[in-house]
Amino acid sequence: MKFPLRLALKHLLDRKTRNGLTVVAISIAVYLLCFLIAVVQGLEAGVRSASNTRLVTQSAVSLFVSLPVSYQQKIDQVQGVELSTKFRWFGAYYQEVENFFAQFGVDQERFLPMYIKDIEIIEGPDGITGPEARAAVQKAFESDRRAAIVGIGLRDDERFGFKVGDTVPLKPLIFQRADGGAWDFNIVGVFRPLKERIPDSTMYFRVDYLNQAIESGDAYGDYAAGVYYVNTSEGTSVDEVAADIDALFENGPQRTQTITEAAFASFFVSAIGNLPLFLGTIGGAVLFSIFFSVVNTMMISGRQRLQECGILQALGFPPLVSTSLLVFEGLIISLVGGGAGIVLAYASEASLVRMLGENIRNYEITPELVLLAIGTSATLGVIAGLAAGLPFLRSTPTEALRSIG
Amino acid sequence: MSDAFITLKQVYKQYTRGGETLQVLDQLDLTVPEGDFVALMGPSGSGKTTILNLVGGLDSCDSGTVKVAGADVSAMSRSELPAWRARHVGFVFQSFNLLPVLTAQENVMLPLQLTPLSASERISQAQFALDVVGLSDRATHRPSQLSGGQEQRVAIARAIATDPDVIIADEPTGDLDRNSADDVMDLFCKLNSELGKTILMVTHDMIAARKAKRLLELDKGLLIEDQQQEA
Repeated sequence: MKFPLRLALKHLLDRKTRNGLTVVAISIAVYLLCFLIAVVQGLEAGVRSASNTRLVTQSAVSLFVSLPVSYQQKIDQVQGVELSTKFRWFGAYYQEVENFFAQFGVDQERFLPMYIKDIEIIEGPDGITGPEARAAVQKAFESDRRAAIVGIGLRDDERFGFKVGDTVPLKPLIFQRADGGAWDFNIVGVFRPLKERIPDSTMYFRVDYLNQAIESGDAYGDYAAGVYYVNTSEGTSVDEVAADIDALFENGPQRTQTITEAAFASFFVSAIGNLPLFLGTIGGAVLFSIFFSVVNTMMISGRQRLQECGILQALGFPPLVSTSLLVFEGLIISLVGGGAGIVLAYASEASLVRMLGENIRNYEITPELVLLAIGTSATLGVIAGLAAGLPFLRSTPTEALRSIG
Repeated sequence: MSDAFITLKQVYKQYTRGGETLQVLDQLDLTVPEGDFVALMGPSGSGKTTILNLVGGLDSCDSGTVKVAGADVSAMSRSELPAWRARHVGFVFQSFNLLPVLTAQENVMLPLQLTPLSASERISQAQFALDVVGLSDRATHRPSQLSGGQEQRVAIARAIATDPDVIIADEPTGDLDRNSADDVMDLFCKLNSELGKTILMVTHDMIAARKAKRLLELDKGLLIEDQQQEA
């Protein structure tokens, strides 16, 4: 079968407005596809990388109700518990409210040993790097009550530029100081996350700095732990450990709910209204609408080309040539549109990462996503071309020639 | 003139439209020698265009046989006919049927793509066909940039580009003014007399029909008159 390539190219270039608009529609659809999948993958990345052997003990009433500090000693005594740490949300910002990032108060002796597989210390005091940095940071963390460890993002982002040795003032949104001032933290280490669920713009500080200030009346708030993160011993049943912990506090003063870190991360995703389902439903509907309108446009084009099919048949081309012309054109239009959508997705990636910030971490246009977008575009092109061109196979030359082009 | 080149024997054809059966050709016999120039006339529905479609392999008869240049067209399958048409038949339509996205030369080159010619040979062959119809200076023009008469001449160039055995013309002057129609008819006469092309033409235009060597008149699927004409 001889394929009239020149004719196909001329058709593509001739209908600039229609083909251009179709390309725009497909590029928007593919961009939307990339965006939605990247958002969902970003949301799920935290869940995927969360541990199934680490437990989170929180108040059974609400995550926003803090647990007493006295619970830790009892938790540590439960069989199967290896180590636990308080984990307290601080909620402060640097200079401007827009410069908000996550800060957690943790137990200085326990946090780094518990997170040995989760974060890598890359820089410690006095310029120490490499394997010795972790021990140096541990030592500095224990010796300075205002010590804090920051993620690499807080070092590299020019809005913050935190370096080891800096004293960083953070303005509180929750725990106001009695003097109305900021909380000062001394940076003693920089870490790089080893798990996707940990943002590189997180700061960990000593929870006793906060609690002692509250206890002494230098700050307002409750003297508490927030939640507890609990590492379990290898080989133990996490379900049993969780049940044992919750059994300890069944009669109060605060009942607890202990779940795996993975379930806890999943809870955060669903806490924002099951965003993946929402995005999947609404986004899917929009995508299908655009895809169907593209198919419809191609079908209109096909109806207008029936006479051309008749002419080509009279000249000696089999009807399959006319069908393949439309499939080829559909494929090219879809791939150009899809390519534009992918370029758009890449171009907007950095801004979206900044915009989505802490809400949707790990937003990324991955090579797998690009392949999916190319595959979807190609499939759309072939389907649209076939929908428009298949009727040609049934038409006789005389019928086709009689049609009005 | 040589022996039978186109033969229709006992050809019967009917169509069903809107539940009604229309008998278009009724046991028609027709013989056209090689190099003849035949004009088919008759009222609408008399079967003129159906004869052209059967000879050109665009349609098939219900019974009877259609032979062109020794080939039994009526026995060919739907998949065999396109290749046969490409080699043996050139079509000229009333409404020209040029592809508007292609230039005159590209339109003429289109059927040549089905031949074993190389790209450069196709270009020179198309140029030759445009020379024959006197439009080599319009090679790069699109149909929309040509007059009706010029469009029809490009269509004729396309029909002769592959050097077919038969040229089939369905009311080729129907959409043209008198002067353009005369030019087109002069061209057909030239193709017939100088290049020896066998031409089968349907027309309602008596002036055009008078230029053919032979005039056939049909009515209700029957041949009612067969008249040799003087040049």
